Amino acid sequence: MTPRLNLFTARAASALRQSTTPALASRSIASPARFRAIQPIQCRWNSSRDGSKKVEPQPDEQNFPTSDQLPDVSEEANEISRIMDKEKRCDGVPSTPELDQGSPVEEILSRDKQAMKHMPKVMQDELKKSGKRSFSTSARSRMPEVDGVVPNADGPSAEAAAALAEMIKQAQSPVVEENPGLKFDEPVVPQNVKTLNYRNRYDTLQEQFTKLMMMDGKLTKAQKNMGIILEHLRTSSPPQMNPRRPLLDAPPASQMPLDPVNYLTVVVDSVAPLFRIRQQKGIAGGGAAVQIPMPLNLRQRRRTAIRWIIDGSAKRRDTSFSRRVAAEIVAVAEGRSGVWEKRDQQHKIGISGRANLSTPMRR
Amino acid sequence: MASSWCWNCLSRLRLTPQALAPSATPRISNAPFHSTALRYANPVKKKNTTLNVQKHRVSASIKKKKKKPEQRSSGGGGRAMSPAERRALKKRIVLSNPNALEIESMVDLSAETMVDSRLRGTVLGLPMPMIDQLRAVEAFKPKQGWSVFRRPGTVLRRDTIEMGRLIEQISGEGDKPQKGKVVKKIVNGMKGSGKSVHLLQAMAMAFLKKWVVITVPDARDLVCANTAYTAVEGTKPLQYIQPNAVSALLVRTVEANRDLLAKLKVSQKHPSLPMLQPGSTLEDLAKLGFNDPAISWAVFQAFWAELTASAPAAGLEKGFVARPPMLVTVDGLAHWMAESEYRDVDYNKIHAHDLYFVKHFLSLLKEGDSLKNGGLLLYATSLSNNPNPLALKIAMDRLAAHQAGISANSPEYPNPAAYSGVDERVLEFLKPAEKAASPLELQILDGITRDEARGFFEYFARSGLVRDAITEQWVGERWSLSGGGIIGELEKLGRRFRAASA
Repeated sequence: MTPRLNLFTARAASALRQSTTPALASRSIASPARFRAIQPIQCRWNSSRDGSKKVEPQPDEQNFPTSDQLPDVSEEANEISRIMDKEKRCDGVPSTPELDQGSPVEEILSRDKQAMKHMPKVMQDELKKSGKRSFSTSARSRMPEVDGVVPNADGPSAEAAAALAEMIKQAQSPVVEENPGLKFDEPVVPQNVKTLNYRNRYDTLQEQFTKLMMMDGKLTKAQKNMGIILEHLRTSSPPQMNPRRPLLDAPPASQMPLDPVNYLTVVVDSVAPLFRIRQQKGIAGGGAAVQIPMPLNLRQRRRTAIRWIIDGSAKRRDTSFSRRVAAEIVAVAEGRSGVWEKRDQQHKIGISGRANLSTPMRR
Repeated sequence: MASSWCWNCLSRLRLTPQALAPSATPRISNAPFHSTALRYANPVKKKNTTLNVQKHRVSASIKKKKKKPEQRSSGGGGRAMSPAERRALKKRIVLSNPNALEIESMVDLSAETMVDSRLRGTVLGLPMPMIDQLRAVEAFKPKQGWSVFRRPGTVLRRDTIEMGRLIEQISGEGDKPQKGKVVKKIVNGMKGSGKSVHLLQAMAMAFLKKWVVITVPDARDLVCANTAYTAVEGTKPLQYIQPNAVSALLVRTVEANRDLLAKLKVSQKHPSLPMLQPGSTLEDLAKLGFNDPAISWAVFQAFWAELTASAPAAGLEKGFVARPPMLVTVDGLAHWMAESEYRDVDYNKIHAHDLYFVKHFLSLLKEGDSLKNGGLLLYATSLSNNPNPLALKIAMDRLAAHQAGISANSPEYPNPAAYSGVDERVLEFLKPAEKAASPLELQILDGITRDEARGFFEYFARSGLVRDAITEQWVGERWSLSGGGIIGELEKLGRRFRAASA
């Protein structure tokens, strides 16, 4: 049977109707069910879905470009007749919900004595025999306790029938449980595999590095170079770590070539500066600039480090660009590269410029 | 200062003829010495007179010297690669990655494992002593992915096991020995389907069975007009030999089969090689052609006659050892099925079949026991740098139709379209023979099965190159992506760097 939630809301709303507040009245059941049913569609799926600011869209705020705000004539007539009918009655039986969900014929007939006299003979017989009202098979069949159980109230061998039903149930149950209408298991779609999207197929840092190596918009060439670099990291001998230049979160040196993307990430993150230096003019006076350290987010830090590595590679003597960059990355891992000095210099200026942070920077 | 000339003298001075007087400008005569510098000396530079001379109809703006753009052809300050260096880099073959993990339980290819169907789908390592031999016959190609693993290994797939059994048969071992049988195959398949590696596996197996291995690692080298060629007089149509290529072939063969050839004595008479010492080995014979291209073709002919000899000539019976079977492989067959880049005296293109070297190896495919002591001929096509001759395509279709039992008169039998200009010479050459004793076969290499692919990826995982769990689903995804197990594509997927899942 269809759920009768609307009846409860109807009752609650009938109490509300006595209130004189127009705002509340506007929320009453006078709004057609059609609108209430489609509320979830109206929900905006944005990033700030959860939270207290969520506003339930009011029924009368609905604005469909193709539909009227008011219900159509027949619905309105029904609504009015229902209200009128209900006011005449005093037994509290809710008025016809036929419009909303469709009631069994018996239910309608039970309210109407006149119609019961003229109802078909089959139905009259049915009423006499069982004394209970019939049920809608379509609704009943969805209820779990009915499914697969042969209703057998009376009979000579109720136990035998129950055993038979049990057997049938046992025979059917594994099939139903394992294959609910499918030949094979239902495919499990990974929920959080970001690589399902072809745009995210590469690691974040790898992609950033590749795009910073790109010249003249030739992404494919940059990707090819990145492939050569990673292959170089994979096949060249493991870096000999310098204890004065430790890498952050690095696995043991012998394992680094086996995961070249991680190798690259560790190297870039280790030489990434924490902040940039902003040259603020006009504070100190006399034309002198004040150096103010500004914090960088992860992506900005990495970008700076990658730029330094690529610039540092330009001085190398290797023949191809990719080889130069690869050699520079290994040099950074081994603490030989000039990128470390750049980072130290940046941090030194930043530390000495900490005093300038108190100056008002807002303009 | 007073002149030393007196008036009297001056008045007596007469005008001399023009020719005798020294001219104001330096005289340029026909003197053979030292005139060049004078003649070709740079003209005296004009003084910079920009301030004085007004240039008209020229814009008066200041011209700034443009800064030369930084040399960024390869992205910075590296020196340019020399052509030789570039070529060396292109041809470089790296067979080992010391960073990859050593696989403990890796099985080597051996006479037992190469026919073991229980090992199907596993990666068998190539025996380390054999690597030098395989390098000598140029079995490895630069673009194959040997460089990421600790040591080279190949998948034992269905075709490999079948070939192993065939080689066992021809060697006279196994269940159904057929000693002396000659099997001729053209290996075809999609790009990356493992044709070259199939040849490599054949070579490895032949080395294990102590066969003589003769290879042409790239058929294109013989027709792209990079080696010298000379016409052979008295042939019609005119035929050509390529002496340097033959020398290289001899070097390759001796390098790879040294142990075997050192044990075989010369057993035939070779009047064309008077310098050959009596009682010398086949190694000595082949070495005659190493440095002397003039006789290299004669040496090769003698060498071939020795290898295919079934009995010694009269008077040379002493120390005759039965010749082993032979494996002959050619990679890139399509280049031999068209006109070459060589030109004759009339500047017409020479057909590849008119080159003696090519003709010799192709003639082995013809009907009959071209290898008297048995052996295997594997001629593979290659889809990288493929001239794609129509005649070869039709010829291979015909071979396939013949194998499927379609007769030449049937309408389904492939025929060239009218006016397609197909090379009749090639079609005629590769025509499938009716009722042949050792027919030319066509072998198609397809993708490997999922189980074999799984074994292949487990090899990646054990080498530490793939960090995911190798499950049925994981393998299935890659198997589908690779076009149904095309192993070259699988290899790319295995070594590709991707974001870690989740």
